[in-house]
Amino acid sequence: MKLRTSRRIVQISSLALFVIIPLLNKAEISFVSGTLYSMAIGPVWITDPLIGMQTILTSLRFDGTLLLSMAVPVSIALIAGRVFCSWICPQNTLSEWVDQAAIRIGIKRLFPSTAVPRVRTVVTALVLLAAPLAGFPLASLLSAPGIITAQTAQLIKEGVVGAEVVLIAVILLSEFFLARRVWCNTLCPVGGFLALFRIPRTLRVAFAEDETRVCGRCRSCVDACGLGLDPLTGKIHPLCHNCGDCIASCEDLKGEKKPLQFRW
Amino acid sequence: MNKQRLRPPGAIAEAEFLATCIRCGKCSQICPYGSIKTAGLLDGPIMMGTPFIVPRNKPCYLCMKCTAVCPSGALKRSVRKKEDVRMGLAEVNKKECLAWQGTLCRSCYDECPLFNEALLMDKDLKPVVDEKKCVGCGVCENVCPLDTPTIVVKPGGRL
Repeated sequence: MKLRTSRRIVQISSLALFVIIPLLNKAEISFVSGTLYSMAIGPVWITDPLIGMQTILTSLRFDGTLLLSMAVPVSIALIAGRVFCSWICPQNTLSEWVDQAAIRIGIKRLFPSTAVPRVRTVVTALVLLAAPLAGFPLASLLSAPGIITAQTAQLIKEGVVGAEVVLIAVILLSEFFLARRVWCNTLCPVGGFLALFRIPRTLRVAFAEDETRVCGRCRSCVDACGLGLDPLTGKIHPLCHNCGDCIASCEDLKGEKKPLQFRW
Repeated sequence: MNKQRLRPPGAIAEAEFLATCIRCGKCSQICPYGSIKTAGLLDGPIMMGTPFIVPRNKPCYLCMKCTAVCPSGALKRSVRKKEDVRMGLAEVNKKECLAWQGTLCRSCYDECPLFNEALLMDKDLKPVVDEKKCVGCGVCENVCPLDTPTIVVKPGGRL
């Protein structure tokens, strides 16, 4: 199956999953429960490392279960990069759709590219510091995937949504009219924290030309990148979240060996 | 706004609870009775997303499913028996309570999940809370027949 199709299926399944989980829980089937703040799939517990870190910083307690549940997403990030963002995160899915709609309609955005390195790392650090310094769980209130899944669950269980959803609307409207993909690229603390877990052997998109892999500079990969990055520069990390759209667009071209590949 | 809320079973002391709860909503999702609600923005940004119980609407029936799923330890996972819960403490308003005022009423006594332990009837058939045994689930507050309940749970994790 084509990479892009697989990713879409996983993304839509992820959106569906966080509607199905609260419905199952409501029917008292609870082998799987939780949200993208923290969830349980049978005996496997998974907690967003950013949220877990915030709890550790504010409570100064090292809860073994919490640390273990943070290890799952951290390991995935170390091995495969931020595939959580590109394949699972519902905010990214919504942002991608809004971005494609804006492009199709032809909205001229004030900031057509927000691919600025390091801003997100600083934002993440500030967000994490707010918790221990001001006793304010800012990371929880700025975790877009957490908010989307928790509010969906709350809507299904209690019939109401909280004011948190305003953030999601603000993100989508800003990205539609003002700055292309600004949340994921420069502000999201969830992605910013996950991006810290990178080693030289982490899966990445590599641009490498040799005699057998020649790039025709058609720039279809640049157009394909939903984050507005330029894979030809070779400087797309840590903003690149390994969605593989650039690689897929390169593979669409005729010929067998292409200069864009996933590399460990 | 800053009025303290009754937290789910296993909750640690309020200040610690606010620092430890990751606001994931698992406890409220797992609650089979819909007793656990989620605080919103109107409760203040620090309270937002935290779980609470309004016993007058729906008390905690101490099924103990929520402590088992808490990922952060804001609800102590070691609290698995209803007897070990200390989420609050029931207090009788003796001036208004029917039984204390001489009418025959034993609603709270009959419904207490720790029957004849946490809530006792004294020799004059007046309900008395045993502060050492009361877990604070709020069933008594829920079943009090008066418009304004005369037995009320004072919130506050005592673990």
